[in-house]
Amino acid sequence: MPDPTPMEIPMTQVACTVNGEAFTRDVPVDSPLLEFLRDVLGLTGTKGACLEGECGSCTVLVDGETINSCLMLAAQANNRSITTIEGLASGAELDVIQDSFVATGAAQCGYCTPGLIMSARALLNDRPDISETELLTALEGNICRCTGYASIIEAVKRAHRESQSS
Amino acid sequence: MIQQVTTTESDKAQDAPIAPPDHLVGKSCRRIDGKEKVTGTALYGADLFPNSAELFASVVRSQHAHANITAIDTTKALEVAGVLGVYTHADVGGTNIHGLIRRDHPALASKRVRYLGDAIAVVVAKTERAAKLGRDRVEVSYEPLPVIATMEQAIADGACKLYPEGNVMGDKRIRKGDVELALANSHVVVTDTFFTQTVDHAFLDIEAGTGHWDGQVLTLYVAGQWVHEERRLIALALGLPVEQIRIIQPVTGGAFGGREDISIQIYLGLAALKHQGKTIALRYTRSESMRARHKRHALKIESTFGAKADGTLTAARIVVHSDEGAYASTGIAVMRKAASHATGPYRVPNVEVDVYGVHTNNNPTGAMRGFGACQMAIAYEGMMDRIARALNMDREAFRRKNLIQSGDTVTTGQHVDPVSIGHCLSKAIAKFKERPYPGNDKLPDYMRRGWGMSAICFGLGYGDGFPDCSRARVEMNDDGTATVYTGGVEVGQGLLNTMMQIAGEDLGLPMEHMRIVAADTELTDESGSSSATRQTYFTGNAVRMAASELREQVLDIAGIKLKVHPHEITLQQGWAFETAKPDNRVSIQQICTEGLTRGYSLKATALFKPRTITEVPQTGQSPRAFITYLFGAHVSQVLVNMETGEVKVERHIAAHDVGKAVNPQSVEGQIVGGVAQGLGMALMEEVTYKDGRIMNPGLTDYIIPTIKDLPPVEAIIVEHDDPGGPFGAHGVGEPPLIGAVPAILSAIYDATGKAPCELPMNPERTWRLINDVRENDPLSKVF
Repeated sequence: MPDPTPMEIPMTQVACTVNGEAFTRDVPVDSPLLEFLRDVLGLTGTKGACLEGECGSCTVLVDGETINSCLMLAAQANNRSITTIEGLASGAELDVIQDSFVATGAAQCGYCTPGLIMSARALLNDRPDISETELLTALEGNICRCTGYASIIEAVKRAHRESQSS
Repeated sequence: MIQQVTTTESDKAQDAPIAPPDHLVGKSCRRIDGKEKVTGTALYGADLFPNSAELFASVVRSQHAHANITAIDTTKALEVAGVLGVYTHADVGGTNIHGLIRRDHPALASKRVRYLGDAIAVVVAKTERAAKLGRDRVEVSYEPLPVIATMEQAIADGACKLYPEGNVMGDKRIRKGDVELALANSHVVVTDTFFTQTVDHAFLDIEAGTGHWDGQVLTLYVAGQWVHEERRLIALALGLPVEQIRIIQPVTGGAFGGREDISIQIYLGLAALKHQGKTIALRYTRSESMRARHKRHALKIESTFGAKADGTLTAARIVVHSDEGAYASTGIAVMRKAASHATGPYRVPNVEVDVYGVHTNNNPTGAMRGFGACQMAIAYEGMMDRIARALNMDREAFRRKNLIQSGDTVTTGQHVDPVSIGHCLSKAIAKFKERPYPGNDKLPDYMRRGWGMSAICFGLGYGDGFPDCSRARVEMNDDGTATVYTGGVEVGQGLLNTMMQIAGEDLGLPMEHMRIVAADTELTDESGSSSATRQTYFTGNAVRMAASELREQVLDIAGIKLKVHPHEITLQQGWAFETAKPDNRVSIQQICTEGLTRGYSLKATALFKPRTITEVPQTGQSPRAFITYLFGAHVSQVLVNMETGEVKVERHIAAHDVGKAVNPQSVEGQIVGGVAQGLGMALMEEVTYKDGRIMNPGLTDYIIPTIKDLPPVEAIIVEHDDPGGPFGAHGVGEPPLIGAVPAILSAIYDATGKAPCELPMNPERTWRLINDVRENDPLSKVF
C-alpha cells in the first residue's frame, strides 16, 4: 500500500536563518525541514536517503546541534538558526573537514558526505580533544554504504589535528 | 644587429625546469569529483528537482503479489485537482517491455502482476502531492492468483505457474570427470546445505531524475550503470528510435548492481512524451525504492565434497536453487557465474554442478556486487572448513594443499595464469600474525573468540562468450590539456580518476591537465556497464589504447619540432624533451598547435573487445570463459556472545591482487567498503518476505553496518602484473565482498565449534546455531 496522501494541508509561516541569511516562507505544516531546505530554498546539498531518521544523510545543525532534518518539521525551525553543508566553505576555501574528506578519499559516492561532515563539524566545534569513542559515537548516526568508514575516521582525525595545530 | 628580446610570462615558463616525473598510475590523486561532493554542489538525480521540475510523476503499483488485472479505472485520479494525466500500458508506444537479458518485464502491467513492485500506471500532475493523490485514486480490479512465496512452493507438484512454461527459469550445469566414482573412492565425504539470504543494495541515493521531450529528443537525467544499454531498452519499450533518446548520468550515489535494471527511466520517458516541452520529475521514497527494485538472489546450495586421507580434494557435487523472483532480470547470468565459481580457487578434478533458477512472486533478483560468485564462496569456503575438521587438518594447510597454482584449471576447465591466491593468503595470514592472537584465556565463560579465513577467485567481466567491449576516445585540446570521453558510469567507485590517470600516464600530462566527459549518450561512446568488476580492465584498456595512439602522434610532432627520432623523446609534466638533452624541449601546448597545422587529428578512438569462449552447454567447460581471474584472501577475528548470539568482528584483513593499483586510495576504498558490505551480509542484512510482501522496506528494519559495526579493516594491495590489463591493472570492485562473508563465517565456526550454514548470522541465528535449535523446530515457537 502506498502511504495515504492527505488532501488539504494547512500552511504556516516559518522565519529562520539559514547559513546566516534570513528567510521567511509559507510551508505546509507537515513539511519536514529537509524538504524546506531542498525544495523551497534550493539548498540541495542536504540529502534525503531513508527519510525516517536512520541514516543521517540529512544532518544539519540547528542552533549548533545536529538534527535529522527529515524528522524535524520545517515549522519547528521558526526563529532558529540552521547551518547546512552550503554554509561551511568560505568562498573557494574549503572547511578543514571538507578538505580532509577529499584528501583521505572519504567521499566515494558522496551521498552520505554532507551529513557526515555536519556531524563531524558539530563534534569538532564542541571538543578540543576527542577520544576514539567520542568520534565513533558522534558519527554512528550517519550511514555510509561505500567506504567501510575507515577513510571517514581518518578524515575527521586529520581535520581535528589540523584545527588543533592552526 | 642586436635584436631586442622581451621576456613574456610564457617565455619565463619556458625557462623553468621541467618538474620531475609524476607517474599518475600508482598515485592516489585527489578525486576530481571530491570538491563538489564535500561542498554539496554535486547534483544527484533528486537535486535536479528544485530548479528544473515543472511537472511531477508518481507510479501506481500492484496491490497483489500475484493476480490478473481485470480493469484499470483512472476516472477518480483524473478528478484530483492538479492531475494532468494518468497513463497505462495502452499509452505506451513501443513494446512496453524491458529486461537486460530476456525482455520479459512489462514497464506497465496490462493483464497480470507478478510481484508487489509491478507498475500499472503513471500519474502526472502539477505538484508532487497531487501526483501522489492521483496515484492513490487509480482503481485497479484484480483477480488474485495463488502467491508463490518460496522456491519450495514454486517447484511443488501442481504449483500455480508464473509463466506458461513453468516456474523453472533455466538451468546451468558443469560436468567434469566422474564424480560418482571419485566420491566412492574418497576417504571422507562431507555434505552440507547452505542458505543465503535476499539482500538489498541499499545505495543511499534513492532513484530520482528528470525527463524532457522537446519533440525531437527525449532527454533523461537518470542514474544507471550502463547508459547506452538503458537507451536501447527505453527506445524499444517506448517505440522511439535510439537516436531520439539522450541519457545523461547525474552524479550517482552508489549502485552495487542495484541500478543495472531499468528503474524510473521508462515512466519518466512516457510522462515526458505526453507533456512535450515540460520537465517531468520523479523520485521514489526509500520504501518504494526497496519494493520496486531487484535484489540479490537467495540461494540454496547443497554441497558434497570428497577428499583423500592426505587432504587432496577428489570431487564436488553441487546443486543450487536460486530464487529468481518474478522476472528474469540478469538471473541467467548470475546462475552462470554461480556455476562457474562453484569450486572457487581449488583444484577439484571431478565436478558436477546443477543450478536451477526458480520463479517466485518475490522481487526480481539480479545484479548485486558479487553476482552469484559471492554466494558460492560462502558454500565452498564453508566446505573447506568442514572437510579440514573432518580430516583433523589445519585449515590453512588443507587449503594450501588444494589451492590452484599458475596453469591449473578452475571449475570451468579454464587454465589460469598467473595465479596469486597462495600469495594473497600468505599476506593475509602474515598480517594477522603480526599481532598476538588474544585467544579465549581472559574472556568470561559466555564469550568465545575465533578466527577464520577465506580464499576466493573471481572471473572478471561478463564472461561465457557474452559480447563484452569498451570504447574510448581521447583528444588533445588547444590549451595542451587532454580530454577522455567514456560511456562508463561513475557511481562512486572512482572510475573518472582511474581513466584520467591511465590516459595522463601515457601522455605525460599532470592531473591538472586532464579532463573527462563520461556517461552521456550524446557525447560519449559505449563502454559497457559499470559492473562485473570490468571498467578498469575493459574501459581502462580502451582508454590506454586511445591514449597510446595519441601519444604516437604527439611524439611524431615533437620529433619534427625537436629534430630527433621520436624514440629519443620523453613526455613529462606537459613537456616533450630529448631524453639525452632535456633542454631541447617543447610544450605539449605548442605540439598541439603545430600538429593541427600539419594535419594531425590529435584525437584517437579505441575499441577493446577481447575474445571469451562460450561454455559447452552440456559440460560448462570452456578454454576461456573469463578474460582474467582475480584472487583475494581474508582473515577475520570475531567475538561471540554465547548467551545472546551477538557477533562482533574484532579484526578483518583483506588481501587482494589488483594487478596494479591505478589509484591506491580508491583501491583501498573498494576493499574496505566491500568488507563492510560483506559484514552486513554475514551478520545483519536480510530482506524478509511474507507472501511476496517485503516486511522491512526501510533502513529502520533493514539493518546495514554503522561505523561502530566495523573494525579497522586492514587492506593489503597485492600487485601481480596482469599481462592483459592497462599498466597491469585488472580490477577490485566485487572480490572484497566475496571474500569477507566466508571469512567471518569461518571465524564464527572457530569460536563456537558449530558450522554456520544460514545467513545472516544475526543474534537469533547465531544463538540457534550454538544451541542446535533450527527455525522449524517446535522449540522455536517459544520465541
